[in-house]
Amino acid sequence: MRKVGLHGLLFYTLLTLIAVAWAIPLLWMFASSVKPEGEIMGTLKFLPSQPTLDNFRAVFTKAPIGRWLFNSFLVSGLTTAVVLIVDAMAGYAFARLHFPGREVLFFAVIATMMVPQQVVVVPLYILLNRMGLINTYPALIAPKLALALGVFLMRQFFLGLPKELEEAASIDGANRWTVFSRVLLPQARPALSALAIFTFTGSWNDFLWPLVATTKESMYTLTVGLANFAGTYRTEYGPWLAAAVFASLPMLVIFLLLQRQFVKGITLTGIKG
Amino acid sequence: MPKVQPRPLRLGRRWSEALSGYLFLAPYLVVFLLFMVYPVLHGLWISFQEYSVIDGVSRWVGLENYIRMIRDPVFWKSLWNTLYFTLLSTPPLVVLGLALAIAIDRQFKLRSLFRVVFFAPYVLSVSVVGILWLWLLMPDYGLIDRVLTGLGFNTPNWLFDPRWAMPAVVLTTVWWTVGFNMIIFLAGLQDIPQSLYEAADVDGAGPWQKFWHITVPGLRRVTLFVVVRQVIASFQIFGQVFIMTGGGPYGSTRVLIQYVYEKAFRDYDMGYASSMAYTLFLIILVCTVLQFKLSREQGVD
Repeated sequence: MRKVGLHGLLFYTLLTLIAVAWAIPLLWMFASSVKPEGEIMGTLKFLPSQPTLDNFRAVFTKAPIGRWLFNSFLVSGLTTAVVLIVDAMAGYAFARLHFPGREVLFFAVIATMMVPQQVVVVPLYILLNRMGLINTYPALIAPKLALALGVFLMRQFFLGLPKELEEAASIDGANRWTVFSRVLLPQARPALSALAIFTFTGSWNDFLWPLVATTKESMYTLTVGLANFAGTYRTEYGPWLAAAVFASLPMLVIFLLLQRQFVKGITLTGIKG
Repeated sequence: MPKVQPRPLRLGRRWSEALSGYLFLAPYLVVFLLFMVYPVLHGLWISFQEYSVIDGVSRWVGLENYIRMIRDPVFWKSLWNTLYFTLLSTPPLVVLGLALAIAIDRQFKLRSLFRVVFFAPYVLSVSVVGILWLWLLMPDYGLIDRVLTGLGFNTPNWLFDPRWAMPAVVLTTVWWTVGFNMIIFLAGLQDIPQSLYEAADVDGAGPWQKFWHITVPGLRRVTLFVVVRQVIASFQIFGQVFIMTGGGPYGSTRVLIQYVYEKAFRDYDMGYASSMAYTLFLIILVCTVLQFKLSREQGVD
């Protein structure tokens, strides 16, 4: 480690101050969620004088937040699983298989990466309404399956794999599906994990589409339910904070456990996307 | 190598490969056509209709929705609010993201901790962030007001003051998403070859010179990408404004997407909403093309 001179000391101090300022909102939120109502707005004290779980209890009695959590996990999990399989297959087809219309189709797929979500929200609603799927899980999952980023990523990745891998396997008599699933997919772990993180996070934090696609409280995702909860219980800051803490924990935990994959995933999908 | 005429055996293999190609592609193609291509085209068609979702009746009105949009003061105000947000938020998001990346790029012990602190907010959903900052920015009782008043400042009513509501939303957004830009810049910094810095050291260059002559040019492409991406993302802002201010006070923070949402799902005026959405699409398209052209001019490094 380099020697820290005066310059370095000033630098580290400044950086630390900024970092502390950045961390305070979340820390304050966590600390205040266990404070009694009077202390939440009343004081500047960081730690509660008497920690209490009343706020959390209030949330659970006022809203089906457990159900919302379940909905989010189900929708995000299923979306991710389907996207991984479907996009890997499509990416492989575009990268390694020759068929008429391949280039045109790929171009059409890539072109949709420029379409903002808000443009398709209205026609998607009309379509799913006609299919009778509003307020169902398929409606929450469907739109994310059509996104092109995953296909693009998987194609890039498969293009980068040496052809010898497949050739060796087909010489051994394996058919295409086996080559794909047993030989290529296991190699694709970095791309798959980046795509998984991107898809799961995007689905979990999605706001506009779940807002539009669900009108029944029991079908809200955690993100939409939380906003709805805050709107309904306008000034009850205790339950607000408890609900926010509850809603933020899953993604925070996942992030802290999978930091490196997260950063890699963001870099990969962020730059390409 | 001379082209070999395909023999019957080859032909069989080509058919089988083409079939495999379609089969592997099929699952994605189905959802792609159903949930992307069809809605994009249908949405455009709807923008030329007076569309009522309640009874599914629609009437072709040509460009009437677009003309109405041009004459609609609320549309222009929403567009302006969105532009105002973009102008206020883009510089801090880019500059701070870059500064943090440069600060953290050095190898030091607590580097991961700092990275976590600045990036963690990004994984939170918009409703968590919206509620958190709505609470923090409460006039008089919120944490921010209490600290500032304690330091002797006169504080505005933040989200309840038409002049301060949007800046407050900008502050929230910067806290929330600067980590993303920081990560992108970090990747960009790591792409600059170490050998350039070492050569500069040999020539006796100081830190500022190295920064201006190696780092800045090396980051030009990434910076362009970050700026354009940020602008496009800012144009699509909806969640945090909807949750924190609902468009108020007095429509001072109603952004374009919120107006689209209100028209489509509150007033059920879907044709009109669609025309505004496609206008936004056009604006974003122009930005994307501009970025493409600019990055071409930068040349391929």
